[in-house]
Parts: sequence; structure tokens; C-alpha cells
Amino acid sequence: MVILREGICPGINEEFIKALQSEDIKTVEDFVSCNPEELAQKCSLSYKALVAVRRVLLAQYTAFPVSGADLYEELLSSTAILSTGNPSLDKLLDSGLYTGEITELAGSPGSGKTQVCFSVAVNISHQLKQTVFYIDTKGGMCANRLLQMLQSKTPNMEEQMEALQKIKVLRVFDVFSLLACLQNLRSNGLQKASVGGGSVKALMVDSVSAVLSSMLGGKQNEGMSLLMQVAGELKMIARDFSIAVLVTNHVTKDGNGHLKAGLGQSWSHVPRTRVLLQRIEGAETSSLRTATLTKSSRQACHLVEGFDLCHWSEERRTSISGKRKLEERSKP
Amino acid sequence: MHRTVPSLPLAPSVKVKLINAGFQVASDLIDMRPLQLCKEAGISQEEAVEVLQMLRDDGQPHQQRAATESLTALDLLHQEQALGSIVTFCSALDDALGGGVPVGKTTEICGSPGVGKTQLCMQLAVDVQIPVCFGGLGGKALYIDTEGSFLVQRVADMAEAAVQHCTLLAEDTGLIQLYPFEFIYETQNKILSNIFLVYLLPDFLSEHPEVRLVVIDSIAFPFRHDFEDLSQRTRLLNGLAQQLIQLATQHSVAVVLTNQMTTRVSNGQSKLVPALGESWGHAATQRLILHWEGLRRLASLYKSPSQMEATIQYQITVQGFRDAPDEPRPTPATSAVSSPSGNHSKHPRMEDRS
Repeated sequence: MVILREGICPGINEEFIKALQSEDIKTVEDFVSCNPEELAQKCSLSYKALVAVRRVLLAQYTAFPVSGADLYEELLSSTAILSTGNPSLDKLLDSGLYTGEITELAGSPGSGKTQVCFSVAVNISHQLKQTVFYIDTKGGMCANRLLQMLQSKTPNMEEQMEALQKIKVLRVFDVFSLLACLQNLRSNGLQKASVGGGSVKALMVDSVSAVLSSMLGGKQNEGMSLLMQVAGELKMIARDFSIAVLVTNHVTKDGNGHLKAGLGQSWSHVPRTRVLLQRIEGAETSSLRTATLTKSSRQACHLVEGFDLCHWSEERRTSISGKRKLEERSKP
Repeated sequence: MHRTVPSLPLAPSVKVKLINAGFQVASDLIDMRPLQLCKEAGISQEEAVEVLQMLRDDGQPHQQRAATESLTALDLLHQEQALGSIVTFCSALDDALGGGVPVGKTTEICGSPGVGKTQLCMQLAVDVQIPVCFGGLGGKALYIDTEGSFLVQRVADMAEAAVQHCTLLAEDTGLIQLYPFEFIYETQNKILSNIFLVYLLPDFLSEHPEVRLVVIDSIAFPFRHDFEDLSQRTRLLNGLAQQLIQLATQHSVAVVLTNQMTTRVSNGQSKLVPALGESWGHAATQRLILHWEGLRRLASLYKSPSQMEATIQYQITVQGFRDAPDEPRPTPATSAVSSPSGNHSKHPRMEDRS
């Protein structure tokens, strides 16, 4: 619902609006759904002017259908797949993070979500030389760790500094600031960052549950609306700017004591791909983790890969956990 | 700004009326006068004034900066190096933490009774005041005690030992302490007064910019008994966690919280885990778990964005929190968290002063 106001289109001035308001027409929708002939008779406005304004408004505010073939062509040319830097994770995600989509990492505290985000950021800024936006809501962003990861990739100081400059960090701590931040990125932030060569290829939000979980539940009636607004902003950013969006989420236990990602059923429809990270109980090294694919539109679910948090170039496969996870999930 | 009306921090009823009147973005509202807004949206005069006030505040430089300006990771690196960390006087723990308790982040210390959480907190409160010339931060500490375990005499002993360590005489310890109002009020108010306290902290910290450490000992105590609605507790805790990390970041302070342990029974086995639930585990940036192994005290770094997991041994002496004496011992357990530690009651301090 867009209000009719001076200046949204040439030909609309104060008297025009006053005349329309006397007929109880306040928004563009009301105006466009009226018959111009009748309107010309009721108000003292010329038919020609009304039709001209109507045409301009329709052109400005309607959505135009796109053919499937065009959409497919566009998708082929604009989608990129960003490697996470870890071959096992890439295998799980069908070669990496896809731009234009939201991918979610869920896990209990200390399971490695932030580390995976760091690794992706470092990989994109160093390997692919693209800009990354990192929205930190928990204070977990540690530039020192990014530097450590870069140092293990290249001993060249200049390259490290350049890569660090391509990672842009925004720190927000509540849901309204997060929404302000995302809306600002969508309206001018991302375009500004693309000026000067580097284009933005990824946006990370660590974590989205930290700001939303306190708003959901109980007698609060705004939580769902805010969750959907955040989801909407992320999807629009991903789609309009061809960016890969990576979000992290916490986990809760369901009725049977199994781990599942937080924020409930409504949020579960938002990301296209969801991965659950877990520690391995009783492993010799404490840095081994397993990643389970819980939702994907490309691969069979419940694929499991093991990986080591220490070294991003190494991968370790564990064959036991795969069977265990499948058994657990096949229980009704 | 291109903020949409549903995303503004206003009461839901006001927002519904604004949207029904056709306002979509914040820029639609900015040029309106209160009376005009009142008539068009059907909200009361006070609500209209509030809405316009909020929009004007939102356009203020420092609010905008947080949401719109980004730092590059390089700038952040310089900032982190400038902020530094607070040493614990236990070199093994300092190494595990990457120099000490980091300023600008929240650290949670969990442990069973008597293992040394309050000792560590008091040690940190002393250590934050080590002058810059000795490699410290030269800041002040704010100690919020909810359990009544803060002993001035003990802190004085620790401070003396620290001073001797630095071979310099400090005239006052410069500790600021707030006793929460809970000693007078009933259970309900205990929780409320703690939450109010956290909302008052930003102003307090703006007035006292030299404070570099805020200790809340313990965060678990007010939330653990007599809370009927557990989901409400979880929400309150999450909100509190976000407030604290915002405080830590904006005022460059290290926030240290202590937590208690609870028993989780699964598959017929019991295990000690940190209290306050699963989602509280995500709240702090770093988590340190102190536990017993026989007669030895161990500290495990369970969760950290920049450091690897490690378990180190420490001891509590007359001088305070220190390294354990070197002795031939077997390799410490790395999956220390899952090993159940015995339910030791609080050891009398005499035993440890050896």
C-alpha cells in the first residue's frame, strides 16, 4: 500500500491529491482500481491527466512476469558456487555455497559454527579476492583468528592485509539494529561496496538466533513478525545481489532428546540448505567434528562428513557416525 | 534511511495502525507533524510524539554508525591489539586463553562449588588494575556479587601479593562494588533487580570510563530458584546475554560471568554440565569450565572463537590464583568436559594454603 503523495509521479500535485482524497482515494492501489471516467466526473480533474498518471503509476508499481527460460538463463549467468575451503564440507554442500541462497549452520556451543564462518570468509577474501560482509551479533568475531588462518594460507604479509581488508564486519546486538543494518545494506551498502572493483559475494550473520530467540514465545506477539522480516531481508539481499548468505543458529532438543536447529518450524523453511554440526564424543583429538546435512534441495539428506577444525586444508572422514545418524533418524 | 515501518522498535499496536494508514517506510513518516500523524493513523498524541522522537533519534550519528558503518577486519585487528587482555597470574591459563581474559568479550566461568570461580574473579579484579608500565591495563573493576561470597580481606591479600609481584606500592585498590538490592527484597525482586542493574550499567560505564572489567558472580544464582516459567527464564537470559555483549563491545570492558553446575542424567549415567540450560551455552563468547580431577583442579577452555580447546592445571594459594607446581603427571584428559567429577563439597581453605 503506497500512499499517494506529491512527487511520486509527474502530474501529481497538491490539488490533485486533495481532489482524490475527497473521494476517499489515498493509496496507489485505490487509484488504480478506480475507473478513470467515473473519477473524472466526480472530481474536477481532466480525464487525460488521470489516464496519464494511471499509466505511469502502473508502470512504476506493478510486477512484471518473467518467462521461465529467461529466468533460467539469468540463473546460469549469475549464480556462483563459493568453496568453503574444506573439501568435506564442500562435498556435503554439493561443491560449496550457492549465491542467491541462504545456507544455515546449526550446532551446540563449541561445535564450530563460528570457525566455519571464519574459514569461508577467509577463503572468499583470499582465494576468490571478493568482499565479504560479516554481521556479528555475539561478539565472536576475532580478527586475530582470521589472521591466523590467513597466515597458514600464505606467508606474504601484504596478501594477508589485503584479504583482511576485504572482510567487512558489522556489529549489531538486537533484532531492530539487525533489521536496520540489513535494510541499509540492501538500499545502498552493497552497491557502495561493489564500487571500485571488488564485488560482494557473501554475507554472514553469526548468529541469527541470538537476536531472535529472546523475542519469540510467551506473550510476545511481535516475534514471528520480526523473524519473517529478517528472513525476507536476507532472501531479498541474496536474490537481488546474487550473494551467498550463511547464517548460524543454535540447537534445541526435541521430544526424544535429539538435537534439532532452533527458532522453530517457521524458520526451518527459510534457509535452502541446513547443516548440523556436532562434536564427536570420545574422539582422540578434541577438534574433530561431524557435519550432517538436514535439509537440501540438491542432495539426499542425512549425509555426514567428518572434518577437523584445526586445519582447513585437511579432511578426516569418519565412517562410524554416518550409520549412527541414519539409525537415529529412521526411528519414528 | 530506508527502514520499513514494521522493522522500527515501536509497540506492535502502534505499528499496526501506521501500516493500516498506508505508511510503508520511515521516510514517509519523517516529515509529518504530531497532530497530522495523530489524525491519519488514529494513534494518540503521545504515541505520535514518541514515534517522531524515535525516528529523529534514529537519524543520530552514533546510532546510524553502529548499524551502517562497517569495520574492515584489518581495523578490527588493530582494535583488538589495542584493547589487550587481563592476566590471571596463572601462566598456563593465560597461554590457553591467548594472553588472558580478553577485553571486549564475555567470558563465562563454570564450576562446582569450591573449585575456585570466585577466587579467579577476585584475582581478575585485582589484575585489571596492574599499571600499564607493568604490562597490565591500569583499569578499574566493577564486581557485582549476587551470592555474598565476596570477601574484602581475601581481595586485600591477593592485592598485596600482586603488588609485591610488581614491586610497587599501590595506595588504594580502587574497587567499586555494588551490593544488589536483593538482600532486602523477596525472591521475585531479586531477578528484577539484577535485570535493572544490567540496564543501568551503560550509563554507569559512561560515567566511569576507566572501568575495564565487570564481574557478575554469579549469574546463575538469581535465575535458578523459584522460576516457574522456564521458557520465560530462557528468554530473559538471552536478552541479558545480548545486553552484556553490547556493553562489552561498546564500552571496551571484559565481562566475566560465573555459572554453577547441574547434573544431567542420560542413559542411566549422570554428568555435570553448566547450569541455566542449553541455550545459555551460546550466550558467552568464551566458556571456561573449572573442575576437579581427584585432588587436582583443572580448567578447560570449552568454547572460544580464537583459541583451541585446552585443559590446564591451576591451584589456589595464599597469594591467589596461580600455576600448579610442576610435577610428573599423566597427560591431562582432553575431553575433560564429559568426565564426571566427584561431588566434592567446598574444601576448607586451610587445605589449599600449603
